Amino acid sequence: MTSPFLFNNFIIFLSLNVKCFNCRLYFLSLQLYSIKLNFYILYILIAVLLFSFTAVFALFGVYAERKVSAFIQDRIGPAETGKYGSLQTFADILKMLQKEFIVPQAADKILFAAAPVIIFLSVYMGFAALPWAPGVVPASLNIGVLYVFAIVSIESIGILMAGWGSNNKYSLLGGLRSVAQVVSYEIPSGIAVISVVMIAQTLDLQLISMRQGISASETIKFLGFWDVSKTGGFLAWHIFQAPHLIVAYLIYFIASLAECNRAPFDIPEAESELVAGFHTEYTGLRFAFVFLGEYSMMFLVGMVGVLLFLGGWNTPLPNIGSLRLADWTTGIAWGILWTLLKVLLVVGVQMWIRWTLPRLRIDQLMGLCWKVLTPLAFLCMLISGVWRLMVMG
Amino acid sequence: MTTEQLVFYVFASFVLLSALMVVTIQNMVRSIFLFFVTLFSMSALFVFALADFVAITQIVIYVGGVLVLMIFAFLLSAREILNDPPPGKPGLIGIHHLPGIIIAVLFFAVLAVLVYQANPEQIEWVKQSGNDVLRPTDNTIHFIGINIMTRYLIPFEVVSVLLMLALIGAAHLARKERKV
Repeated sequence: MTSPFLFNNFIIFLSLNVKCFNCRLYFLSLQLYSIKLNFYILYILIAVLLFSFTAVFALFGVYAERKVSAFIQDRIGPAETGKYGSLQTFADILKMLQKEFIVPQAADKILFAAAPVIIFLSVYMGFAALPWAPGVVPASLNIGVLYVFAIVSIESIGILMAGWGSNNKYSLLGGLRSVAQVVSYEIPSGIAVISVVMIAQTLDLQLISMRQGISASETIKFLGFWDVSKTGGFLAWHIFQAPHLIVAYLIYFIASLAECNRAPFDIPEAESELVAGFHTEYTGLRFAFVFLGEYSMMFLVGMVGVLLFLGGWNTPLPNIGSLRLADWTTGIAWGILWTLLKVLLVVGVQMWIRWTLPRLRIDQLMGLCWKVLTPLAFLCMLISGVWRLMVMG
Repeated sequence: MTTEQLVFYVFASFVLLSALMVVTIQNMVRSIFLFFVTLFSMSALFVFALADFVAITQIVIYVGGVLVLMIFAFLLSAREILNDPPPGKPGLIGIHHLPGIIIAVLFFAVLAVLVYQANPEQIEWVKQSGNDVLRPTDNTIHFIGINIMTRYLIPFEVVSVLLMLALIGAAHLARKERKV
């Protein structure tokens, strides 16, 4: 049994704003100063919490992926290990922990060993700037959006390291394809994000989510004409504040699929041509780290999209007259719940798309990026500027 | 020594050590990956100078852009060239390094003279600023944006025209040859 006191403490731990860049302390973190706790222990605790969250999510994600794919392909999926096969991924991770580290004879041993760590760390560090609820953010940066994009771009260095270090032609080709794809799709997704930042006028992820609900400090309007600052709910989300952001979100979502190297953009690990792409030679725990990075990346890009476009931790329920649904469902615990629900929904759509659409050819992939998504993203950015000046005044 | 100083010296030594190894290491591919460590630690030093925007830009442009392009060039070249470097004389100090050593010493002398003569307390705008200093909690990006759009507008536009020229040039080079 977890006592309510313990739960409270857990929330306070989360609400600490790690002082690594420019920090703005939020109202909740002020409670911390009354409790004399060793800050360094807290830093480590938050880091461990985030790490265990990504690990638990990866376990859950792999199981969900198997069940979703089984449902879509009219199979049963894992069914033997535990009730409904629920212990299947635990069994898998136990197997992986016991496996031998196999390093190919001709591999560059240092690069081969360092690559999975860099791939995972770059994604894991991205989580540091993402807010979970009002006042609950591991590190509150006033350039949070930029930070997440910068730190995630390091992943491509890790992929190149793995591709080169394995000394295997499939790995090398997979690494090259992956990085070419990630670098190209960063452009439309970056421009789509800029069109949100132009509307929000801030790069702080906490402030961006705050102005999409009842806690907004300025007047926000549904579709630019109906004041919903007190109504909140889904009406105040960015995609409904300015309708062209729906297009921007679609662009961001498609580009984020490509950045995760997931189908229909999975040519880097196309199993019919490249065995498994850049992680062909990895076994055991190192392979587990590559996979952990991949699933954390799914959650990270989903969460960034939710924060920027879908209201972040804000409730989808609006205030209707005396039925104050939005007021009742806003708070720390509710915020974490809404964030989780929204991101899991986005991850579910990612899985659905993976098991529905066929893989794109490389020329179709690049054509989609440069000829369709990039011009559309620039158009969204232009409309954002006009919207900010003409509609929002 | 405070914790901040300790972290600063750790990152500074990372920068120096990895930069030295980038130059001396024989394996070219490892040296380029070590360059990543140098650039990343440099961005940590920018954070200590309260220039967090510069730090992030350093990662986006140098790590995410320039370094990835350099690695691409390596990966697309033949492996034999990289694995067997041309036989050169070993050792850091030797007569064949003389031009390099002269340039390095001269550059170091220039830097040392500059640091010695700078005297930052006597510069006019430093004296005027008084106690108006940047704090870690300040939000600098608004000032950067406003300055780029007003005071430094001409350099900003000139740089964007230069980038445009580079883009057009690259597109021209990559275009299919026209059959005559």
